[in-house]
Amino acid sequence: MAHINPPGLPIERGKIHEFANSIGAEEPLFHDEEAAKAAGLPSVVAPPTYTSTQAFFSEKDAPNMFKELGLDLRYVLHGGQEYYYERPIFAGDTLIAEPGETIASTKEGKRGGSMKIFDMYTNYKNQDGELVLRVKNTLLQTAGVVKE
Amino acid sequence: MSNAFEGLKEGDDYSFVKKKFSRTDFVRYAGGGGDFNPIHHDQKFAEAAGLPTVFGMGMLTAGILSRVPVEWFGPTALKSYGIRFQSRLWPDDTVTFKGVVSKLYEEAGVIHADLDLSAVTQKDEVLIKGFSTVRPWLPSS
Repeated sequence: MAHINPPGLPIERGKIHEFANSIGAEEPLFHDEEAAKAAGLPSVVAPPTYTSTQAFFSEKDAPNMFKELGLDLRYVLHGGQEYYYERPIFAGDTLIAEPGETIASTKEGKRGGSMKIFDMYTNYKNQDGELVLRVKNTLLQTAGVVKE
Repeated sequence: MSNAFEGLKEGDDYSFVKKKFSRTDFVRYAGGGGDFNPIHHDQKFAEAAGLPTVFGMGMLTAGILSRVPVEWFGPTALKSYGIRFQSRLWPDDTVTFKGVVSKLYEEAGVIHADLDLSAVTQKDEVLIKGFSTVRPWLPSS
């Protein structure tokens, strides 16, 4: 699956509108440029988890990334995600994701045997080089399918 | 700026319910969010992994849960937002998304609220536990 990637993550009104709809968000400041300007903002605001759309712009698609970490796609779970906002992200911004460290650990699980934990850090800077967002992404790999 | 901070007390809450998630909800989020892991849309793939059917992306539930602080305090008020996934979202689940003020305090003269967040199914199964810190944010700051 080849794709061509532009530099950085362009924050776009149309994509924000689509993303906001996909989480059922009716907040006018996600959808309405006029409302955003009337509120004194440069443009519409990106929803809190919007940078997950970075998958569209990452150099490697997810299956390749999983392979590199030695993960089996069938047994990978998303453990959690944390966002620390320095300031809101607006349409018109271009973010550059700088991968930080990945910390791997192992935990003995109750149901699925031992579990590998990967805490992956990413810093997002804007077009002016300002840090706007820090993200911690946690991936888990169970030894087998966890029955629930 | 949202004036939800006015008169806010510890223990105050905000919630909404999303009824009966559909596979289409999962596919719409695949398009919106970019998660094309087949385990969220391909029945045969899910069965081969030993699951009864496809399940919703954690980030779909996380995205919807983020609407709690957004709708309550406004989309620029978030200082942090974090979630820990606990169990899977299945088609036909009905989910309550809720936030409670756990702590109210001032930092550098600005009011801050820490929120405990949760997404819980009709079967009282916790899908996500989360947290958020909110405070008023002004364009000039």
